[in-house]
Amino acid sequence: MTEPMLSVHDLTVAYGQVQVLFGVGFAVPRGSVTTLIGANGAGKTTIMKTLAGMVAPRSGTILFEGRDIAHLPSHDRVDGGLALIPEGRLVFGGMTVEQNLRLGAIAPSARAGHDEMLSEVYRRFPRLEERRHQRAGLMSGGEQQMLALGRGLMARPRLILMDEPTLGLAPVMVKKVFETIAELRAAGFTILLAEQNARVALELADHAYLLENGRIAMTGTGADMLASPEVRRAYLGM
Amino acid sequence: MKGIWPTAGVVLAGLALAAPLSGNAYLTGVAFQIAMWIALAQSWSMLSATTGYVSLGHAVFYGIGGYVAVLLVDAAPFPLVLLVAALAPAVFAAVIGLPVLRVRGPYFVILTYGLSELVRHGVMRIESALGSFGRMIFSAPSPEALLWWMVALAVAATLGAWAVRHSRFGAGLAAIREDEVAAETLGVPTARLKLLALIASAIIPGAVGGLAMMRTGYFEPGQAFDPVVSFTIVTMALVGGTDSVRGPVMGAIGFALLSELLWSSFPQLYMIVLGAALIGFVLFVPQGLSGLVDRIAGRRA
Repeated sequence: MTEPMLSVHDLTVAYGQVQVLFGVGFAVPRGSVTTLIGANGAGKTTIMKTLAGMVAPRSGTILFEGRDIAHLPSHDRVDGGLALIPEGRLVFGGMTVEQNLRLGAIAPSARAGHDEMLSEVYRRFPRLEERRHQRAGLMSGGEQQMLALGRGLMARPRLILMDEPTLGLAPVMVKKVFETIAELRAAGFTILLAEQNARVALELADHAYLLENGRIAMTGTGADMLASPEVRRAYLGM
Repeated sequence: MKGIWPTAGVVLAGLALAAPLSGNAYLTGVAFQIAMWIALAQSWSMLSATTGYVSLGHAVFYGIGGYVAVLLVDAAPFPLVLLVAALAPAVFAAVIGLPVLRVRGPYFVILTYGLSELVRHGVMRIESALGSFGRMIFSAPSPEALLWWMVALAVAATLGAWAVRHSRFGAGLAAIREDEVAAETLGVPTARLKLLALIASAIIPGAVGGLAMMRTGYFEPGQAFDPVVSFTIVTMALVGGTDSVRGPVMGAIGFALLSELLWSSFPQLYMIVLGAALIGFVLFVPQGLSGLVDRIAGRRA
């Protein structure tokens, strides 16, 4: 068995007095889509922010390709091949699509060959090329999600963290986002996906972790979890 | 349209350098004032226009530079005096930067203002404890030499602001202005870039303060750290427009000329006009004079 790309051990995070994560551990195998599902407030976004270096853990280790990155600043993590597509997309609304994308390649490791990467992103998302000179803030939510994803790809990540990419999107766009995730997996990217939309996430994911009140409550393959009566009752409404 | 701006800049700098040839001391003084405000507004824009962290305390850098220059002017060659006057506020910026840049928006505005006032009162206390109620400067260079130095600073500040905006560093600062959290997720080292921008924007104001004290021939802390300097810088930059390096130049020229007119005829009106112009521009011409020019040019084209 090969070593996972990302493995998290005993992660504890608190905001001041309020503890949010209680010794969370999970692994993301190379080339997989691994999903974290769970209700609002279960701690999914906190995990994503901690992995990206925007929240400091109280204890625990985050091994990325064998190296503990738990205390690296976020820019060093991006430079090292880990990109976060944040919840709410956070595109730079006042800038054009192309300016947004170019900023995605600001990490030193992404600078060389960033023009080729731009053409690759445009090939993957033709819609972005059509709109390259448009202000990002004027695009639809789905287009902004594509832009956030394209901007993340510009950093040439090996591991992509996606926090609630379908939040607030129309069903047709949700489908499109998941198709894109499957394409990225086929292209060799490793993806960790935090998603409230449990059914679609589990259908796609190779591995899944169910998060409840800051703890991992259940784990298995996406298919196992879809079949589990407990998950079906609580998260799929069946 | 685009090529005329650098040309205009060169012509402007040439005119300013030539002002002493007129033999008219008043003209030399006006050119000095204009160059000074361009240098200050341009330096301010390196931090505040690029990152959106609006400093209302740039007088502190100007004042520190002025104070250092006054203390050193009899002891060292003039270029060295200016160099130290420029470096002192940069060191100050480096020390206060990390904590100060943790607060954003209106809190940053208030904090920079408060900090500037704190230093002003501190220096006033130190000076009065030393029994000094203002220092006369006897060994200042000639007004012509001071003007040439000041024009050099204005040019340097303008080129520096241009270089910042057109670099990867500037792209990172723009990302911070648009959305600091998003910038961080992209790998922008936000804390480091903000600190560098603050330091960069403190250097030239220090040298400017040194020259300004030499020009008045007198140092008094209440005046060297006068918050009106900070207000004027912000007003000029905003009225000129913060989207390009043209903006602070246009704002500085417009206001410096306006203030010459008003000081000579209606001194009481100066601050009122300054305030009214700021409100008017923020409300009705948010792109500033430079944006206005673009709009008119665009309509014609």
